[in-house]
Amino acid sequence: MSQFMSAATTRVGRAQRSAHSSGGFSKRVRQLGLAMWKHRWIYLITAPTLLYYLVFKYIPLYNAQIAFKEFQPLLGIEGSPWVGLQNLEGFLNSIYFGQLMTNTIFFSGARLVLGMPIAIVLALMLHETRFAFFRNVVQTITYLPHFLSWVIMFGILLMLLSPSDGLVNEIIKSFGGEPIAFLTTPNWFRQIVIGSDIWKETGWSTILYLAALLSISPELYEAAAVDGASRLQRIWNISLPGILPVIVLVTLLRLGNILQGGFTQIFVLYSLPVYSVGDIIDTWVYRSGILDFQFSLATAVGLFKGVIGLTLIMVSNQLAKRFAGRNLY
Amino acid sequence: MKTKWREEIGFQILVNGFLLAVLIAIVVPLWRVVMTSLTPLDLYNKSGVPAFMWPWDWSFAAYKQVLQQQLFLGAALNSAVITISGTALSLALTVPLAYALSTRSLPGRNLITTLILFTFLFHPGLIPDYLLVTRLGLQNTVLAIILPPAVSVYNTLVMRAFFEGIPEEIKEAARIDGANDLQILWRIVLPLSVPILLTIGMFYAVWFWNEFFTPIIYLNDLTMQPLPVLLRNILMSARLNEYLEYDAYTVSPVATLQSASVLLTMLPMLILYPMIQRYFTRGALIGAVKE
Amino acid sequence: MNKRLNEIFKVALVVLALAVVLTACAPAATPTSAPVPTKAPAATSAPTTASSQPVAAATTAPTVVPTKASVPPTTVATEKPVDLELWAQPSVTEQGPPPADWIAYKIVREKLNINLKVVLTPTGADGEAKYNAAAAANSLPDIMQMVSASQDNRGTMVRLQKLGLLGPVTTLLPLMPERVKTHYDDPQRMKMGQVGGVQYGLVEPPPIPKREGYVIRKDWLDKLGLKPPTTLDEMFEIAKAFTEKDPDGNGKNDTYGVGGFINGVGLGDRFDFIMGGYDVPGLWDLRDPGKIQLNVRDPNYPKALAFFNKLVTAKVIDPDWPTLKRDDFRAKWKQGKFGIMWEDFSALASPSNYVTFDKNFPDGEFVALPAPKGPDGKAWYRVDTSLSTIWAVSKKAIDAGKGPAIARFLEWTATKEGYYLLGFGEEGKQYKFDKDGNIVFDGLDPKQVWTAPESQMYTQLRNNLIFTNTPQELKVRYPAYTSVKGRTVDQVQFLKFFQSQPWVAGAHLQVINPHPKAADFNRYYNENIIQFALGQKPLNDQTWADFLKGLDGIGAKDWETNAKKDLTDAGFMK
Repeated sequence: MSQFMSAATTRVGRAQRSAHSSGGFSKRVRQLGLAMWKHRWIYLITAPTLLYYLVFKYIPLYNAQIAFKEFQPLLGIEGSPWVGLQNLEGFLNSIYFGQLMTNTIFFSGARLVLGMPIAIVLALMLHETRFAFFRNVVQTITYLPHFLSWVIMFGILLMLLSPSDGLVNEIIKSFGGEPIAFLTTPNWFRQIVIGSDIWKETGWSTILYLAALLSISPELYEAAAVDGASRLQRIWNISLPGILPVIVLVTLLRLGNILQGGFTQIFVLYSLPVYSVGDIIDTWVYRSGILDFQFSLATAVGLFKGVIGLTLIMVSNQLAKRFAGRNLY
Repeated sequence: MKTKWREEIGFQILVNGFLLAVLIAIVVPLWRVVMTSLTPLDLYNKSGVPAFMWPWDWSFAAYKQVLQQQLFLGAALNSAVITISGTALSLALTVPLAYALSTRSLPGRNLITTLILFTFLFHPGLIPDYLLVTRLGLQNTVLAIILPPAVSVYNTLVMRAFFEGIPEEIKEAARIDGANDLQILWRIVLPLSVPILLTIGMFYAVWFWNEFFTPIIYLNDLTMQPLPVLLRNILMSARLNEYLEYDAYTVSPVATLQSASVLLTMLPMLILYPMIQRYFTRGALIGAVKE
Repeated sequence: MNKRLNEIFKVALVVLALAVVLTACAPAATPTSAPVPTKAPAATSAPTTASSQPVAAATTAPTVVPTKASVPPTTVATEKPVDLELWAQPSVTEQGPPPADWIAYKIVREKLNINLKVVLTPTGADGEAKYNAAAAANSLPDIMQMVSASQDNRGTMVRLQKLGLLGPVTTLLPLMPERVKTHYDDPQRMKMGQVGGVQYGLVEPPPIPKREGYVIRKDWLDKLGLKPPTTLDEMFEIAKAFTEKDPDGNGKNDTYGVGGFINGVGLGDRFDFIMGGYDVPGLWDLRDPGKIQLNVRDPNYPKALAFFNKLVTAKVIDPDWPTLKRDDFRAKWKQGKFGIMWEDFSALASPSNYVTFDKNFPDGEFVALPAPKGPDGKAWYRVDTSLSTIWAVSKKAIDAGKGPAIARFLEWTATKEGYYLLGFGEEGKQYKFDKDGNIVFDGLDPKQVWTAPESQMYTQLRNNLIFTNTPQELKVRYPAYTSVKGRTVDQVQFLKFFQSQPWVAGAHLQVINPHPKAADFNRYYNENIIQFALGQKPLNDQTWADFLKGLDGIGAKDWETNAKKDLTDAGFMK
């Protein structure tokens, strides 16, 4: 039965290919119909959500054709003249294109490579501690920074890092060193961005991994303890495999959004002396907005980012399937 | 047995030491925010924010100023309405889809996954969304705030991953007993998924609670605006206040107001989270299954 | 089943109940959504073209209307009231819009036969986003204030006009003689509201022009026995002394000579007085009336940068300047971190701002300085761009024949009744007149007076639609402050001094369209200038020539040509 079903499932995506094997065609249609009837309740309860996607996600995507048009409000979406990729040209031909891509990928990549493992480690530690009260305190406190806006974060960073009266520089000075203008020195800016992001978001992202850890059956741990497995072995052999699906999922989704470099953070933290290492696609688009009302440019760049994200997620999905035995499907 | 204990103690020292270090790293700057919000104007202007102040030196002027706004109560209420209705709507739409996608035998499952992933990758941006919302006539209603972002692909897929973790045998057993999918979702999957429902619910709630951009765009009436918009306006005006002609409306420096308003926005979550945390205890799930 | 499971069921029940409600709602939403993409645009554009005739009719009619237009109530009262929606930037952002029972609404309805609705738009980038979205959906209001995140109000107007969303106001002006006399009397200024010779914008008097200036801590000078600087070189020496000689006498090495932050292109207008000493303030070189080019082409520009770099390398300027935001900057001077700066007169000396500085430093005193002279004896304060608020009327409103009603309303705002009601509120409640005709508040309920937070919603339009900087307004808006030690700090005195300084007249620069690749161009320009200033890039003939070459590589020459064309087209250049 399940074999039929998976055949039916793949059918949907490969309608044309199977069409020529006309012999079993009507039979397969019947089987598909049966399978669908069996799941009629699921279709019924999912219908509102699918309708939601159709209306609130796909109609805007249809509207996104303004990316390829010179959008004129009075002419409407269909009526506006077609200009092809012209809206994207300003971006693709920007003298900073390469730098913008590098910076964007660097920031989201670093968040993924550094931020995620730290969050996972913190989740594991929270899971392992025997002091329930302490765990609750740490958990509650560490997720609080998520609520701080970047404007406030800038104030905190300035208080710590200002070369004139920042705490860190006071310490450097007291050891006889020269104060460092962390926020305006290209060599330091990236570290500050990544570090402050990790500080702000790690606690919040542990929530997900903790929820995953909690859904692992305690019997597994008990059995391992009986077998004499050490703590580390239990983490390695039970905890990590237990949350692997979530890790894979989050990684894949983050890869899909690799060209989202964290606009608000950069926008608040960067300044002219560090543009070379701080300017990302979104800040550039923002600064370009004064020209064309952002009607089409932002949409076009949004679609461009989608194409890159799609490619990346497809490739990494295959890799994930091969190496972790998990993917998005 | 003794070595086991020793190992366990060593391990716990390591784990808790790590947690303590994290806690300190988080608390120190956070403490600074709290102090900033409590620094009296005079002191702030003289020497900035002190590292420590005794409670009798605290000034609640900034909190007072925020709370005394005529629009504050209304804005808080608006925020509550947006957050509660938005979260409920989001969960109501997310749960069925996540369940459907976790049903491996569902025909069309991959197609649906692909289609929603597509919307995750391609963001059309403000204008295409706005055109839709205005054509539907939703502007100036709460629906314009809660409907367009109602379902998050990320949250759906995360929830699906958790649903998939529920052993197939339990569901199969129910099916043999004659339960349909609706009943399985209702009686088995949901009760077993409380932590993830709460987690995702909280993700949604926090998102709605903090959202200020769509209200600004879609709501013309200032009395309909939620808290983040009001707080933004207060800050904006504290800033413009530097230009203001006559005596200020502000009795607090911008930084103080900013910190106070951020702590105020945190407050509901600070209360809510420990309540949610009660369900985050190990074995909550399986215990329920066994019964 | 235990307790927990019960609770779980409750949660589940709520979720499911909502799902059911939603299934009921969702289909209701679909019928409206189904025809969305195809039909609607056609439907919205159709009436616009169909109703274009009334405009033509209106063009001929108004010229005959005499000054009586300011008192037309009885004649229009019989007609159906006209709905007018007005979008404005609030005067006080955290206070609400006027309430539904606002007396002005009532008067406007009864006397002018207009149902007015005031919508307060968010400021800055958020506001611009809101306008963008409304423009895209062709749902702009009848009359609106132009909003720009980059302070380019005219730019917003031009873009909206190019999209065909604005209606010309030429025909409205004759309908509001009093308003024209008090607000739109300067033909040079009104040119900022024109596109292709047609008037689309109503350009308000600029909200206090030339309001910023160059100031120094007099008490520090006195303490160190120094004289106020007159040249940039003297300023440098004093900045050095302020940094190194402990001018506040607290025994700590915690002061700097100069403080500031970046506001605008290049090093920003806050340091333009330094560029002014080298005769190169601002972005554009306007010295030759028949020519316009970028100031960086002047050989003096790298010299000015070299001087700035001297401030940086000598560490006499607060090193936070490249990243500081305005608020942080202001907190710093109030804490006495530096002694020389560029500041807004009101931010500096209005009672609410000055009081904090006064409490910290009872002997502290800022004095205004004239523009410092450079090596060649040149001195400019800054470029005066005199940015005005611009109001525009949507084409939809003109097409719907609302033009006369808009003019009627605007004219009313310039009458005595409208002016005081929208600018100050109700007489006897929010304000009253003393025997000299000054506006005063004593004896009124402090919860209701004009300055009280509770009253702000009644006068939200005052700064952008009503005020024209009359002496009466200045007096009430900018009161003097008596310091702890009994000194009088009069902000208007600062303002007058600042205004008396040499400013480059640059209001007309607004008509220059942005560089076609503004994001690239601005970044290249700003980034390089600041790298030179900070010494991240060595400043010599070779590097400077390379910088200029790079600038030309991204179309600097073309932009200069276009700038000349823009200025010529707008009638500012021959």
